[in-house]
Amino acid sequence: MNAPTKFDGAKPAYRHVGTRPVRPDGVDKVTGKALYGTDFKAPGMLWGAVLRSPHPHARILSIDARKAEALPGVHAVATGKDFPTLQSLVMHVGEGASDIVDVARNCLALDKVLYEGHAVAAVAAVTPEIAREALALIAVEYEELPFVLGLEDALAPDAPLLHDDVFTKGVEPKPDKPSNASMRVEMGSGDVEAALATAAVVASGRYTMEPVHQGYIEPHACVASWNADGQAQIWCSSQGHFAVRALTASVLAIPQADIRVTPLEIGGGFGGKTTIYLEPVAMILSRKSGRPVRLAMTREEVFRATGPAPGAVIDVRIGAAEDGTLLAADVEFKYHSGAYPAVDAGAGVASAIGHYRIPAARVVGTEVLCNRPAAKAYRAPGAPQVNFAVESAIDELAVRLGLDPIELRLKNASGEGDPQTSGVPWGKIGWTQCLEAAKAHPHWSAPLGENQGRGIAGGYWGNYGGPSTVVVSLAEDGSFVVATGSPDIGGSRASMAIMAAEVLEVPYEQVRCVVADTASIGYSMVTGGSRTTFATGKATVEAATQVRQLLCERAARMWNVPAEAVEWREGTMHCISGEKAGTSISVARIAPMVAHMGGPVSCVSAINANGWLPGFGLHICDVEVDPETGHVAIVRYTAVQDVGTAIHPDYVEGQVQGGAVQGIGWALNETYIYDHKGRLDNPGFLDYRMPVASDLPMVAAVLVEVPNPDHPYGVKGVGEVPIVPPLAAVANAIHAATGKRLKSLPMAPDRVFAALHGCA
Amino acid sequence: MSRLHVSATVNGDATDFLCDPSASLLDALRDQLGLTGSKEGCGSGDCGACTVMLDGEMVCSCLVLAAEAQGRSVRTIEGVAEGSVLHPVQQKFLEHAALQCGFCTPGFIVAAKALLDRNPDPTESEVRYWLAGNLCRCTGYDKIVRAVLAAAADLRQERTPA
Amino acid sequence: MRIVVMPPFDKEFFGTDRLDVVPANLFDLVDRLDALAPGFAAIAQPRVHFAVDGVLETDWARPLSDAREVILLPRVGGG
Repeated sequence: MNAPTKFDGAKPAYRHVGTRPVRPDGVDKVTGKALYGTDFKAPGMLWGAVLRSPHPHARILSIDARKAEALPGVHAVATGKDFPTLQSLVMHVGEGASDIVDVARNCLALDKVLYEGHAVAAVAAVTPEIAREALALIAVEYEELPFVLGLEDALAPDAPLLHDDVFTKGVEPKPDKPSNASMRVEMGSGDVEAALATAAVVASGRYTMEPVHQGYIEPHACVASWNADGQAQIWCSSQGHFAVRALTASVLAIPQADIRVTPLEIGGGFGGKTTIYLEPVAMILSRKSGRPVRLAMTREEVFRATGPAPGAVIDVRIGAAEDGTLLAADVEFKYHSGAYPAVDAGAGVASAIGHYRIPAARVVGTEVLCNRPAAKAYRAPGAPQVNFAVESAIDELAVRLGLDPIELRLKNASGEGDPQTSGVPWGKIGWTQCLEAAKAHPHWSAPLGENQGRGIAGGYWGNYGGPSTVVVSLAEDGSFVVATGSPDIGGSRASMAIMAAEVLEVPYEQVRCVVADTASIGYSMVTGGSRTTFATGKATVEAATQVRQLLCERAARMWNVPAEAVEWREGTMHCISGEKAGTSISVARIAPMVAHMGGPVSCVSAINANGWLPGFGLHICDVEVDPETGHVAIVRYTAVQDVGTAIHPDYVEGQVQGGAVQGIGWALNETYIYDHKGRLDNPGFLDYRMPVASDLPMVAAVLVEVPNPDHPYGVKGVGEVPIVPPLAAVANAIHAATGKRLKSLPMAPDRVFAALHGCA
Repeated sequence: MSRLHVSATVNGDATDFLCDPSASLLDALRDQLGLTGSKEGCGSGDCGACTVMLDGEMVCSCLVLAAEAQGRSVRTIEGVAEGSVLHPVQQKFLEHAALQCGFCTPGFIVAAKALLDRNPDPTESEVRYWLAGNLCRCTGYDKIVRAVLAAAADLRQERTPA
Repeated sequence: MRIVVMPPFDKEFFGTDRLDVVPANLFDLVDRLDALAPGFAAIAQPRVHFAVDGVLETDWARPLSDAREVILLPRVGGG
């Protein structure tokens, strides 16, 4: 593998890294040619539809689909009984650990439904209208059960139990009674109570929020075609087609190589598309009907049945000395896991207070099952919730101690070598640099108007590396193709082309990047977890480097000189010593010949990328609060983030801006509203209110570069950090503007109004 | 139920198709005519991903019945470029990286072009309010607004060459 | 060599947070821990990350002869 790069001193003069070329898939996307999940059609395709539970918790007594099967135009009906019986097996697929039995049950229920919207049956018919008509003809007999939605309610001793085989993990002695608390994680060290007792000031409070959805504009969709000989194809939009293959094969108990998954373009994921919902169901319908079947969710189904980020109750106490030194922190949180154990409280524990040096600390997280869709990853999963509470408490300390909020954070900021909450030390992080950059930014000292206030918050995300396969191949005219297994959700094809062109020292347009299907390239982990530019980028650099070396060797053999005598410069091989010194050949001229030498030039790099580093961010938010309506307007927003090295600054800025705005929506308007029957009242974009263009100003993205020595160009993952600070940044700004600290999200106008005017 | 036969002009071409009476214009464009550039994000007129021009007016095609297109003129994202020459809005979206996943992009481009056809010199605020019916979850709108303002400047130059 | 077991695994599997094992590599460590607490191996890959001398190590075959400390912690996934 590449030896660690030295990034001391000035930034290297790159040819392509740091430039802003147009992305290779851009024209397709601005002309409507790009094919997303429901744009793909297979010949003879049938239209699928899913029947979903109207009850939040019920036993399925019987399913009678005979009338549906008899409806002219219906070719197949599927229920949970069509899946094979599976043994419990915990798999890490996508971005988290799940039991494959739970994954299968979530795709189609068997004995019980665990949330309103839980899939119960599916049909395939010749038109979408007939498919919908057929759903209405399926008679399901339910025995309704008591349900529970709230975190504290689900933990009460008499709470309805979702699973009778879930015993809380991480507690001693091991419980002998099942519970809705699926996991408890506690970390920390030192005597927190004693240290808090010595503090000059203790900021404490309870912070709460409901789940929020990733809000991708494209609903889930796939086409599956399963032949009688057992081989199948799936076309779907997904953050990871290898994850789709693995999960679908496991649910259906068939060999992975029997399924070829082709990734279509994806209309947003943010973590919500690192799993499967429809694919195994479409497969069953396809096998039964003998035809390809498309299954696509409506927007309503997306809200009722796909996994949001968990809601939370967080209790925090942070104590500081008079001079602002943090002495102790006690953070206890509960997260909604939803219908199945899937969310890891460990992420929340790891993300709570690691950005500060606090000698005595205790962080405890509990995951709680309840009758809602099973929570799924959403951009830095588990971090924004706990960060909201911690950064609000830090802000309260700054206010009460009369300290500048940036100085307070600088005073206590963790740096390289300081321990994370787990005890593992931080590597070469850029947290202090973000704080300094924010302090120096004109936003920090800009004047404020009436009813306006400024708040800041900082946060981090661990990022990841992991397995990626990349193949760089030489075309017969000297142009190059980079094939990866990483779906492109935000411009990664451009970044891979940039990195390969940088290594090969050829024009950007001479390198094209494509995403290959599961049968055409080796395994890659999902595009998510802020891993792709780092890990797939590393593999791209490695493969491109191999291509360079191989071509130099070919030129050397052709010239009959030692390999060391050939040097690569700007896409041309030069003989630099000996008799043939001065001879050169361009890649365009050697390319047609290579197949007549040792063979085609095509190099693969299949790596498990290590050496990733976390990202840190500091956000500055100015709000204006209308005292008459409680409406909060964002008037200025600056997001400072350590990105390592920005390969393509436009797309790095885009990640920072997009994540910040998702966080603003989370802070101000987004929430799940259930009725008294456990049914979702706002399963649409009208009442699940995400930010629109008129809600926002420009979002300044300030890219701080503290390069990662363990990546050839210094990359650190960027996609997830920016959603972490906004919740507290907005809340702290509202506090600065009004003197009121809101501790419950969203901070919608009615709640701000109530806080301002002291009404319930 | 028998299907309806609809004749319309789509992206300048005389076209016809069969559709279920309850089908939306979006359904007909995508499933009967194969014009999959317009997207369904919500089916309820709240996200703008299905934005098309109907007789010169901006509409959510998911809220228009396919049958309502009878005798009328529809322009979709596929009809924005002239042949292979991109419209300045499309070009600026590319140059300003105003798309990440690209799913909302067709709706935004049709809507932005509709704005600039009416108002060649919009302010940032006017751009934001005109585009408030188009949801984007990836970009936070910053680069989209910049791209539209840049396209406006481009078009003003073209119309009044220096 | 010190083996430190972070929550929830300490309570979930071993009843202690310090183990007295000298593994050749992480594969070997997982096998030995599974012998102490059957079922651990089944969840090790999906749920556990290992930090060797303060750095997360994903190559389970890397020799640990020079390692001073291995920390087991919950694997954190992104989105």
